[in-house]
Amino acid sequence: MQLHPRHFGRDLRDKLVAKLMKDVEGTCSGRHGFIVAITGIESVGEILEAVVTMVNKMGFFAEAGPVQIFVSNHLIPDDMEFQSGDIPNYTTSDGSVKIQKDSEVRLKIIGTRVDATEIAQTSLAQLLSRAVLLSYSLFTLILVILSTASRSDNQLCSLIPIRQQILIIRLLSQFCIGTIKDDFLGVISDPGATS
Amino acid sequence: MSGEEEENAAELKIPDEFLKAKCLMNCEVALILEHKYEQLQQMADDPMNQMSQVFEKSLQYVKRFSRYKNPDAVRQVREILSRYQLAEFELCVLGNLCPETVEEAIAMVPSIKTRGRAHDDEAIEKMLNDLSLIKKFE
Repeated sequence: MQLHPRHFGRDLRDKLVAKLMKDVEGTCSGRHGFIVAITGIESVGEILEAVVTMVNKMGFFAEAGPVQIFVSNHLIPDDMEFQSGDIPNYTTSDGSVKIQKDSEVRLKIIGTRVDATEIAQTSLAQLLSRAVLLSYSLFTLILVILSTASRSDNQLCSLIPIRQQILIIRLLSQFCIGTIKDDFLGVISDPGATS
Repeated sequence: MSGEEEENAAELKIPDEFLKAKCLMNCEVALILEHKYEQLQQMADDPMNQMSQVFEKSLQYVKRFSRYKNPDAVRQVREILSRYQLAEFELCVLGNLCPETVEEAIAMVPSIKTRGRAHDDEAIEKMLNDLSLIKKFE
Protein backbone atom coordinates (compact mmCIF):
# COMPACT_ATOMS: atom_id res chain seq x y z
CA MET A 1 0.00 0.00 0.00
CA GLN A 2 1.29 3.44 -0.85
CA LEU A 3 0.54 6.67 0.91
CA HIS A 4 1.36 10.11 -0.45
CA PRO A 5 4.06 11.89 1.62
CA ARG A 6 1.71 14.81 2.26
CA HIS A 7 -0.12 12.53 4.67
CA PHE A 8 2.99 11.91 6.73
CA GLY A 9 2.90 13.38 10.16
CA ARG A 10 1.27 12.90 13.45
CA ASP A 11 -1.78 11.08 12.31
CA LEU A 12 0.04 8.87 9.87
CA ARG A 13 -1.45 5.82 11.45
CA ASP A 14 -5.00 7.09 11.12
CA LYS A 15 -4.37 8.03 7.52
CA LEU A 16 -2.99 4.60 6.79
CA VAL A 17 -5.88 2.86 8.45
CA ALA A 18 -8.38 5.09 6.69
CA LYS A 19 -6.73 4.44 3.35
CA LEU A 20 -6.55 0.75 4.02
CA MET A 21 -10.24 0.66 4.74
CA LYS A 22 -11.06 2.80 1.75
CA ASP A 23 -8.99 0.58 -0.50
CA VAL A 24 -10.26 -2.64 0.92
CA GLU A 25 -13.90 -2.00 1.54
CA GLY A 26 -16.01 -2.88 -1.40
CA THR A 27 -13.18 -3.36 -3.84
CA CYS A 28 -11.75 -6.47 -2.26
CA SER A 29 -9.08 -7.03 -4.85
CA GLY A 30 -5.72 -8.56 -4.12
CA ARG A 31 -3.76 -5.36 -4.73
CA HIS A 32 -1.00 -3.88 -2.64
CA GLY A 33 0.46 -7.19 -1.65
CA PHE A 34 -2.12 -8.32 0.78
CA ILE A 35 -4.55 -11.07 0.37
CA VAL A 36 -8.13 -10.04 0.36
CA ALA A 37 -10.81 -12.61 0.57
CA ILE A 38 -14.40 -13.01 1.47
CA THR A 39 -16.08 -15.95 3.03
CA GLY A 40 -19.23 -16.76 1.21
CA ILE A 41 -21.50 -16.66 4.18
CA GLU A 42 -24.83 -15.19 5.05
CA SER A 43 -26.41 -14.10 1.85
CA VAL A 44 -30.13 -14.18 1.63
CA GLY A 45 -31.02 -17.34 -0.26
CA GLU A 46 -27.79 -19.03 0.65
CA ILE A 47 -27.81 -22.55 2.01
CA LEU A 48 -25.38 -23.24 4.81
CA GLU A 49 -24.76 -25.54 7.70
CA ALA A 50 -25.21 -24.56 11.32
CA VAL A 51 -25.25 -25.98 14.83
CA VAL A 52 -28.48 -25.96 16.83
CA THR A 53 -28.07 -24.03 20.08
CA MET A 54 -31.57 -23.91 21.53
CA VAL A 55 -34.90 -25.60 20.82
CA ASN A 56 -38.32 -24.41 22.03
CA LYS A 57 -41.90 -24.57 20.88
CA MET A 58 -41.49 -21.43 18.77
CA GLY A 59 -38.76 -23.05 16.71
CA PHE A 60 -35.01 -23.35 17.15
CA PHE A 61 -31.88 -21.21 17.17
CA ALA A 62 -28.72 -22.22 15.37
CA GLU A 63 -25.28 -20.70 15.01
CA ALA A 64 -22.98 -20.43 12.02
CA GLY A 65 -19.84 -18.97 13.51
CA PRO A 66 -20.73 -15.58 14.94
CA VAL A 67 -24.08 -15.50 13.21
CA GLN A 68 -27.32 -16.43 14.93
CA ILE A 69 -30.09 -17.97 12.90
CA PHE A 70 -33.65 -18.52 14.02
CA VAL A 71 -35.85 -21.13 12.36
CA SER A 72 -39.48 -20.69 13.36
CA ASN A 73 -41.71 -23.73 13.72
CA HIS A 74 -43.59 -22.63 10.60
CA LEU A 75 -40.38 -23.20 8.68
CA ILE A 76 -39.80 -26.66 10.08
CA PRO A 77 -41.40 -29.49 8.06
CA ASP A 78 -45.00 -30.16 9.09
CA ASP A 79 -44.32 -33.77 10.01
CA MET A 80 -41.91 -32.71 12.75
CA GLU A 81 -43.52 -32.20 16.15
CA PHE A 82 -42.18 -30.35 19.15
CA GLN A 83 -41.38 -32.60 22.10
CA SER A 84 -40.79 -30.97 25.46
CA GLY A 85 -38.79 -32.60 28.23
CA ASP A 86 -35.19 -32.59 29.44
CA ILE A 87 -33.93 -32.26 25.90
CA PRO A 88 -36.55 -30.35 23.92
CA ASN A 89 -36.56 -31.39 20.29
CA TYR A 90 -38.47 -31.63 17.03
CA THR A 91 -39.04 -35.20 15.92
CA THR A 92 -40.75 -36.85 12.96
CA SER A 93 -43.72 -39.09 13.77
CA ASP A 94 -41.69 -42.24 13.10
CA GLY A 95 -38.86 -40.92 15.33
CA SER A 96 -36.26 -41.29 12.60
CA VAL A 97 -35.22 -37.63 12.45
CA LYS A 98 -34.64 -35.45 15.47
CA ILE A 99 -33.51 -31.87 15.88
CA GLN A 100 -32.13 -31.01 19.30
CA LYS A 101 -29.35 -28.94 20.85
CA ASP A 102 -26.02 -29.59 19.08
CA SER A 103 -27.62 -31.18 16.02
CA GLU A 104 -26.02 -30.03 12.78
CA VAL A 105 -28.56 -28.75 10.29
CA ARG A 106 -28.44 -27.52 6.75
CA LEU A 107 -30.67 -24.51 6.33
CA LYS A 108 -31.48 -21.72 3.95
CA ILE A 109 -31.23 -18.06 4.93
CA ILE A 110 -34.47 -16.28 4.06
CA GLY A 111 -34.13 -13.01 5.91
CA THR A 112 -31.86 -10.88 8.00
CA ARG A 113 -32.04 -8.19 10.57
CA VAL A 114 -29.47 -5.44 10.59
CA ASP A 115 -28.65 -3.84 13.86
CA ALA A 116 -27.37 -0.37 13.02
CA THR A 117 -26.54 0.61 16.58
CA GLU A 118 -24.10 -2.22 16.83
CA ILE A 119 -22.32 -0.94 13.77
CA ALA A 120 -22.01 2.55 15.22
CA GLN A 121 -20.63 1.29 18.49
CA THR A 122 -17.78 -0.62 16.99
CA SER A 123 -14.71 1.13 18.20
CA LEU A 124 -11.79 0.86 15.88
CA ALA A 125 -9.21 1.48 18.58
CA GLN A 126 -10.65 -1.23 20.75
CA LEU A 127 -10.56 -3.67 17.90
CA LEU A 128 -7.07 -2.70 16.85
CA SER A 129 -5.83 -3.59 20.29
CA ARG A 130 -6.61 -7.17 19.47
CA ALA A 131 -4.49 -6.98 16.34
CA VAL A 132 -7.64 -7.55 14.45
CA LEU A 133 -9.10 -4.66 12.60
CA LEU A 134 -12.79 -4.82 12.11
CA SER A 135 -14.63 -2.31 10.08
CA TYR A 136 -18.21 -2.22 9.14
CA SER A 137 -19.54 -0.87 5.96
CA LEU A 138 -23.28 -1.10 6.05
CA PHE A 139 -23.48 -4.83 5.62
CA THR A 140 -19.89 -5.80 5.74
CA LEU A 141 -17.61 -6.79 8.51
CA ILE A 142 -13.98 -6.61 7.64
CA LEU A 143 -11.52 -8.50 9.70
CA VAL A 144 -7.89 -7.73 9.12
CA ILE A 145 -5.44 -10.27 10.31
CA LEU A 146 -1.94 -8.96 10.56
CA SER A 147 0.68 -11.51 9.75
CA THR A 148 2.59 -10.37 12.77
CA ALA A 149 0.47 -10.56 15.83
CA SER A 150 1.47 -7.27 17.33
CA ARG A 151 -1.03 -5.75 19.64
CA SER A 152 0.57 -2.38 19.73
CA ASP A 153 -1.12 0.43 17.90
CA ASN A 154 2.21 2.16 17.41
CA GLN A 155 3.63 -0.77 15.59
CA LEU A 156 0.62 -1.03 13.39
CA CYS A 157 1.62 1.71 11.00
CA SER A 158 4.92 0.02 10.33
CA LEU A 159 3.17 -3.27 9.86
CA ILE A 160 0.47 -2.22 7.48
CA PRO A 161 2.62 -1.86 4.36
CA ILE A 162 4.21 -5.21 5.02
CA ARG A 163 2.78 -8.42 3.76
CA GLN A 164 -0.35 -9.22 5.62
CA GLN A 165 -3.42 -11.23 5.34
CA ILE A 166 -6.75 -9.61 5.25
CA LEU A 167 -9.78 -11.68 5.65
CA ILE A 168 -13.13 -10.18 5.08
CA ILE A 169 -15.99 -11.91 6.65
CA ARG A 170 -19.26 -10.84 5.29
CA LEU A 171 -22.06 -10.56 7.72
CA LEU A 172 -25.35 -9.36 6.41
CA SER A 173 -26.25 -9.08 10.03
CA GLN A 174 -25.62 -11.03 13.13
CA PHE A 175 -29.10 -12.35 13.15
CA CYS A 176 -30.80 -14.22 10.35
CA ILE A 177 -34.02 -16.09 9.77
CA GLY A 178 -33.72 -19.53 8.23
CA THR A 179 -35.85 -22.36 6.96
CA ILE A 180 -35.40 -26.10 6.71
CA LYS A 181 -38.66 -26.59 4.85
CA ASP A 182 -37.26 -27.36 1.43
CA ASP A 183 -35.60 -30.16 -0.52
CA PHE A 184 -32.24 -31.31 0.80
CA LEU A 185 -32.48 -29.21 3.95
CA GLY A 186 -32.66 -30.50 7.50
CA VAL A 187 -30.59 -32.48 9.96
CA ILE A 188 -27.17 -33.61 8.81
CA SER A 189 -25.96 -35.11 12.05
CA ASP A 190 -27.10 -35.75 15.59
CA PRO A 191 -25.12 -34.63 18.61
CA GLY A 192 -22.45 -37.11 19.53
CA ALA A 193 -22.72 -38.92 16.21
CA THR A 194 -19.26 -37.79 15.18
CA SER A 195 -17.49 -38.47 18.48
CA MET B 1 -39.30 -5.18 -12.75
CA SER B 2 -37.95 -2.57 -10.38
CA GLY B 3 -34.47 -1.13 -10.67
CA GLU B 4 -33.51 -2.02 -7.15
CA GLU B 5 -33.58 -5.77 -6.97
CA GLU B 6 -33.56 -7.64 -3.73
CA GLU B 7 -30.55 -9.65 -2.82
CA ASN B 8 -31.00 -13.32 -3.53
CA ALA B 9 -28.07 -15.67 -3.54
CA ALA B 10 -30.10 -18.43 -5.16
CA GLU B 11 -30.36 -16.32 -8.30
CA LEU B 12 -26.83 -15.01 -7.87
CA LYS B 13 -28.22 -11.59 -7.02
CA ILE B 14 -25.57 -10.43 -4.64
CA PRO B 15 -24.12 -6.93 -4.38
CA ASP B 16 -21.64 -6.16 -7.16
CA GLU B 17 -18.62 -5.84 -4.94
CA PHE B 18 -19.24 -9.32 -3.62
CA LEU B 19 -20.00 -10.80 -6.99
CA LYS B 20 -16.57 -9.78 -8.20
CA ALA B 21 -14.76 -10.43 -4.96
CA LYS B 22 -12.88 -13.53 -4.09
CA CYS B 23 -14.81 -15.94 -1.93
CA LEU B 24 -13.27 -18.49 0.38
CA MET B 25 -14.61 -21.90 1.29
CA ASN B 26 -14.90 -22.86 4.94
CA CYS B 27 -11.89 -25.16 4.62
CA GLU B 28 -9.75 -22.30 3.28
CA VAL B 29 -10.87 -19.92 6.00
CA ALA B 30 -10.06 -22.64 8.55
CA LEU B 31 -6.48 -22.84 7.28
CA ILE B 32 -6.05 -19.07 7.48
CA LEU B 33 -7.63 -18.69 10.90
CA GLU B 34 -5.70 -21.61 12.32
CA HIS B 35 -2.47 -20.12 11.07
CA LYS B 36 -3.42 -16.89 12.79
CA TYR B 37 -4.32 -18.76 15.95
CA GLU B 38 -0.92 -20.47 16.01
CA GLN B 39 0.76 -17.10 15.67
CA LEU B 40 -1.25 -15.80 18.60
CA GLN B 41 -0.22 -18.82 20.61
CA GLN B 42 3.44 -18.10 20.00
CA MET B 43 3.07 -14.47 20.94
CA ALA B 44 1.21 -14.82 24.20
CA ASP B 45 0.65 -17.17 27.08
CA ASP B 46 -3.07 -16.95 26.80
CA PRO B 47 -4.18 -16.83 23.18
CA MET B 48 -7.84 -17.13 24.11
CA ASN B 49 -7.57 -13.80 25.85
CA GLN B 50 -6.54 -11.99 22.72
CA MET B 51 -9.10 -13.42 20.43
CA SER B 52 -12.26 -11.58 19.71
CA GLN B 53 -15.40 -13.57 20.09
CA VAL B 54 -16.05 -13.20 16.39
CA PHE B 55 -12.68 -14.76 15.65
CA GLU B 56 -13.19 -17.59 18.08
CA LYS B 57 -16.66 -18.42 16.86
CA SER B 58 -15.64 -18.15 13.23
CA LEU B 59 -12.72 -20.50 13.80
CA GLN B 60 -14.89 -23.05 15.58
CA TYR B 61 -17.49 -22.88 12.88
CA VAL B 62 -15.21 -23.29 9.90
CA LYS B 63 -13.33 -26.12 11.60
CA ARG B 64 -16.55 -27.97 12.29
CA PHE B 65 -17.90 -27.53 8.78
CA SER B 66 -14.79 -28.01 6.70
CA ARG B 67 -15.18 -30.99 4.40
CA TYR B 68 -11.50 -31.01 3.59
CA LYS B 69 -8.85 -30.65 6.26
CA ASN B 70 -5.66 -31.41 4.40
CA PRO B 71 -4.19 -28.24 2.77
CA ASP B 72 -3.38 -30.12 -0.44
CA ALA B 73 -6.93 -31.35 -0.72
CA VAL B 74 -8.23 -27.84 -0.12
CA ARG B 75 -6.06 -26.58 -2.95
CA GLN B 76 -7.27 -29.34 -5.26
CA VAL B 77 -10.90 -28.60 -4.53
CA ARG B 78 -10.48 -25.02 -5.65
CA GLU B 79 -8.53 -26.07 -8.69
CA ILE B 80 -11.15 -28.56 -9.79
CA LEU B 81 -14.11 -26.31 -9.16
CA SER B 82 -12.47 -23.42 -10.95
CA ARG B 83 -12.53 -25.42 -14.19
CA TYR B 84 -16.29 -25.11 -14.34
CA GLN B 85 -16.84 -21.37 -14.93
CA LEU B 86 -18.55 -20.88 -11.63
CA ALA B 87 -19.05 -17.56 -9.89
CA GLU B 88 -16.88 -17.32 -6.79
CA PHE B 89 -19.93 -17.57 -4.60
CA GLU B 90 -21.19 -20.70 -6.34
CA LEU B 91 -17.79 -22.33 -6.11
CA CYS B 92 -17.71 -21.80 -2.36
CA VAL B 93 -21.20 -23.05 -1.68
CA LEU B 94 -20.47 -26.24 -3.63
CA GLY B 95 -17.14 -26.71 -1.85
CA ASN B 96 -18.78 -26.13 1.53
CA LEU B 97 -21.82 -28.34 1.13
CA CYS B 98 -20.37 -31.08 -1.11
CA PRO B 99 -23.67 -32.18 -2.65
CA GLU B 100 -23.72 -35.81 -3.71
CA THR B 101 -26.19 -35.76 -6.57
CA VAL B 102 -26.88 -33.41 -9.46
CA GLU B 103 -30.36 -32.78 -8.10
CA GLU B 104 -28.95 -31.83 -4.72
CA ALA B 105 -26.32 -29.57 -6.28
CA ILE B 106 -28.99 -27.67 -8.21
CA ALA B 107 -31.12 -27.33 -5.09
CA MET B 108 -28.12 -25.90 -3.23
CA VAL B 109 -26.99 -23.54 -6.01
CA PRO B 110 -29.96 -22.98 -8.35
CA SER B 111 -28.04 -20.35 -10.32
CA ILE B 112 -25.77 -22.96 -11.90
CA LYS B 113 -28.69 -24.05 -14.07
CA THR B 114 -30.07 -20.65 -15.02
CA ARG B 115 -29.37 -18.01 -17.63
CA GLY B 116 -28.32 -20.46 -20.27
CA ARG B 117 -25.03 -21.24 -18.62
CA ALA B 118 -23.07 -24.17 -19.92
CA HIS B 119 -23.78 -26.55 -17.09
CA ASP B 120 -25.66 -29.58 -18.26
CA ASP B 121 -26.35 -32.41 -15.85
CA GLU B 122 -23.42 -34.35 -17.20
CA ALA B 123 -20.93 -31.58 -16.47
CA ILE B 124 -22.33 -31.15 -12.96
CA GLU B 125 -22.10 -34.86 -12.33
CA LYS B 126 -18.49 -34.92 -13.45
CA MET B 127 -17.71 -32.03 -11.14
CA LEU B 128 -19.31 -33.80 -8.15
CA ASN B 129 -17.41 -37.00 -8.98
CA ASP B 130 -14.13 -35.13 -9.10
CA LEU B 131 -14.92 -33.61 -5.72
CA SER B 132 -15.79 -36.91 -4.09
CA LEU B 133 -12.53 -38.40 -5.36
CA ILE B 134 -10.53 -35.76 -3.51
CA LYS B 135 -12.43 -36.60 -0.35
CA LYS B 136 -11.76 -40.29 -0.81
CA PHE B 137 -8.03 -39.87 -1.19
CA GLU B 138 -7.55 -37.17 1.39
